[in-house]
Amino acid sequence: MVAVEPMAPVATAESPAPYIGRKVLRSEDPRFLTGRARYTDDVAEPVGLLHAAFLRSPHAHARIVSIDASRALGIDGVEAVYTQAEVSGVLGDFTTTLPMPEVKTITRPILNSTRAYWVGQPIAVVLGTSRYTAEDGVDALDVEWEILEPLMDAELLLTDPQEPMHDAFPDNNFAHIEYQMGDVDELFAKAAHTFSKRFHQGRYMAAPLEPRGVMADFDPSTGELTVWSSTQVPHFMRSLIAGPLGIPESTIRVIADNVGGGFGMKCHVFDEEAIVPAVSKLSGRPVKWIEDRYENLAASSHAKETVCYLEAAVDEAGTLLALRGRFIGIGGAWPSHPWTSLVDTVVAAQHMPMIYDLKAVGYTVDTPVTNRCPTGAYRGVGWTVVSSARETFVDEIARELDIDPVEFRLRNCIPDRPFTTVTGQTFDGGSYQGSLRKVREMLDYDAFRKRQAELREQGRYIGLGLCAYVEPTAWGSDIAVQQGFKNAAYFDAASVTMEPDGSVTVTTGMHCHGQAHETTLAQVAADTIGVTLESVRVIENDTARAVYGMGTWGSRSAVIGGGAIMRAGRDVKANLQRMAGRAMEVAPEDIEISQGVASVAGMPSRSMTVAEVAAFAYYGGDSRPDGHEPALTATRSYDPDPAYSNGTFAAIVEVDPQTGEVTIEKMVICEDCGVIINPMIVDGQIAGGVAQGIGGAMFEDLVYDGGGQFVSGSLMEYLYPSATEVPPMEISHIETASPVTEGGIKGMGEAGALGGVPVLNAVADALSPFGTIVIEKAPLRPCDVLELIERARAAGPAT
Amino acid sequence: MTTDEKTEAHPVEFELNGRRIRLQVDPRTLLADVVRHEAGLTGLKIACEQGVCGSCTVLEDGRPIRSCITLAVQVDGSSIETIESIAGHSADLHPIQESFQREHGLQCGFCTPGMVLTAKALLAENPDPSEQEIREYLSGNVCRCTGYVGIVASVRDAARCTRSARTSTVGTEGEGV
Repeated sequence: MVAVEPMAPVATAESPAPYIGRKVLRSEDPRFLTGRARYTDDVAEPVGLLHAAFLRSPHAHARIVSIDASRALGIDGVEAVYTQAEVSGVLGDFTTTLPMPEVKTITRPILNSTRAYWVGQPIAVVLGTSRYTAEDGVDALDVEWEILEPLMDAELLLTDPQEPMHDAFPDNNFAHIEYQMGDVDELFAKAAHTFSKRFHQGRYMAAPLEPRGVMADFDPSTGELTVWSSTQVPHFMRSLIAGPLGIPESTIRVIADNVGGGFGMKCHVFDEEAIVPAVSKLSGRPVKWIEDRYENLAASSHAKETVCYLEAAVDEAGTLLALRGRFIGIGGAWPSHPWTSLVDTVVAAQHMPMIYDLKAVGYTVDTPVTNRCPTGAYRGVGWTVVSSARETFVDEIARELDIDPVEFRLRNCIPDRPFTTVTGQTFDGGSYQGSLRKVREMLDYDAFRKRQAELREQGRYIGLGLCAYVEPTAWGSDIAVQQGFKNAAYFDAASVTMEPDGSVTVTTGMHCHGQAHETTLAQVAADTIGVTLESVRVIENDTARAVYGMGTWGSRSAVIGGGAIMRAGRDVKANLQRMAGRAMEVAPEDIEISQGVASVAGMPSRSMTVAEVAAFAYYGGDSRPDGHEPALTATRSYDPDPAYSNGTFAAIVEVDPQTGEVTIEKMVICEDCGVIINPMIVDGQIAGGVAQGIGGAMFEDLVYDGGGQFVSGSLMEYLYPSATEVPPMEISHIETASPVTEGGIKGMGEAGALGGVPVLNAVADALSPFGTIVIEKAPLRPCDVLELIERARAAGPAT
Repeated sequence: MTTDEKTEAHPVEFELNGRRIRLQVDPRTLLADVVRHEAGLTGLKIACEQGVCGSCTVLEDGRPIRSCITLAVQVDGSSIETIESIAGHSADLHPIQESFQREHGLQCGFCTPGMVLTAKALLAENPDPSEQEIREYLSGNVCRCTGYVGIVASVRDAARCTRSARTSTVGTEGEGV
């Protein structure tokens, strides 16, 4: 059943905003450009600091018979060795689950020194007077391992039961979920054409340039704990470590002032973020642990790896009727905390429709546990996975039916207005078709096809690929449910204060790790109150300085942070208007505030600066209105209705059929995130996401061998795209304001991560003269491209 | 390497941002650790510790090197320049840094010091690089945030500004292409 539910557009904005919509340069840039930004490893070290290094499991699955620390403790500068025996005295367990009946619950020790479940699992921690000596100490630990058989084949685990890895998962499956809406079977039975494919999205990860890092300082005299961590979620991390540490949240301060990229990886709460504070408490010393690149690649969180089986029912006219999906997430040894491995699988399944007007969808989701690093969130959770599978499938169907891929998408695309998908997602209106048409125009599509034909005559193979998308943004409660996170609840908050001198302090529970909140959220606050941009200061990233909130992930900060600031800012503005009205002896409604000046409507000569109004509010004595609260401050929270962005990506590539090398000529993009706060920042988010998407589609692969050994432990195996692999990009915008959010803003931080999908399609398009091309996996390395050509040749020419 | 291998402290002396420094170091001590921890200049970043990503780039006698795989003893007698000093005393930002702000050449900022120093070395060698030359020169510096679009634009902008400043000092009209 497909319901079209046009929503009445909400009446918008008072006056044209001077800052929102403008390319405002980032006010935070100078500290990064001059090397003054203090990331976790750069923070001034507390006196008496010890450095931590972890013993990590070199085995995929093993029992630890004994750990002898005597040699390690004999090294000058090695101060302590801690295992579960000591740590469990000050640190409880993590319990990971989701509030859904299909999902199991696991409770596990945060440091397990008796059994190893994956290569990289922390087993023991050594404290030394320098990182050099702490690592020497790890090298000198004598450990007796009893090697166990690892469970590595996730698909096989579902059909061939094995002894449970954990008692919590008797069938080695974290969750099995089934869903059906509409008469899937009947549509398939009656369809003129049915198609199927298997697509294996490889394992890749955010791998931010700044690895994780935690420094903890527990003061036994006050019971106060200060933790510096490279996290995207300082308050949320505080909430999740407080329980296991047995320390009230009010006495924990988490600081994450500058974070060198997160991309979702740092929105988890990691074992090390609890262990380092625990060993600070045990040792009575401040402790610092800075992750190295091997640890980051092997032992932080992996993402995306999913085997997707898709089936499509298509009618005589080339109309997509229904999709069936089976999603098997290749989970790690336990679900990442707290988001779990379902962030990829269940979200992938819910996003099968996106722009396609389907009558029915059915799916199953499984997330078996294997002896690998846990999987969790990475930019575009799940919906990037299903887009790789579905968009390559759509092109394959279009080629099979001999319909142009743009035409096929437009034929099956939902209308450019609010729309509810068969999976229950309430799209708030967008340019679903409009962005496709815009990209076709930007590409000069017909001219491209002509050039392609000419080059083929010369033995050169260029191709064009597309990916149209709808992006779930601004994770509040309702949109979380629409992503398959039933019973979830999310919100965020902002505090806005006009200080006595008229300057404005904004704090939010968001976290900035590159998204320019100090600039963009200041734009929002300045417009809301009517002050100059320069007068606004945004403070985040520190639980002692900013209001509680859930941090930044899931493209939520512009909408939820922006919306909470608008709400709080309007409260402050109303108070200012009351004060200015009193001072100038007019009604508050007659006060207009713009660029830091409050004036009487229609009489611009009667005015006060906001500094004068603020001084009056705080210190104006009896002349202030009766019952007035002096402080010009408000804290408001916001849990928005679902806001979905959309757009279309296209890639043009050339493939060398001799070597399998793919050169991406350019990316052409049209995105629609509703009202744009700062177009420069939007373009930057898109471009950065595209590079990561290209990584996952072409280069980045976290590989385990059959025995469970991790073999992608450095940047010489795990290949980041560099400036020579990422192409130039042309980005255009359509602004379909959201009728349901404050200010019409939609989130947009993640869609760029789809940038690899059109590349996969472009490779297939380039190679189509060789025969039938079916993309069955990503990343598509040069050897995979050569295999595609060989298989197409062997199967004979396309029909 | 473990401490049961007998090591002796070695003297090392080099110029860091114009100031002579003299230390005794364990031979395994990395230049990056000396600059960050001994000299307190934390602008250079450690991200891969194997010379792949370029975050730890500093300039040795004007040439970009990887301080995370350079032993401190190797730079004895050299002149090392880090991000902290390139703007000079009279300005807040070096023109390349200004271009990075103008063209959105950074997001999280972690690769930025290495990127800016590498760009400085490029423009010293080649004041008028093509887009492809910029991409190739910067290909040893990884950025995980920007997709390089803003970085390439920043370096082009910096090249243009530097050329036009040079042109105006010799008294001719017009901006470089």
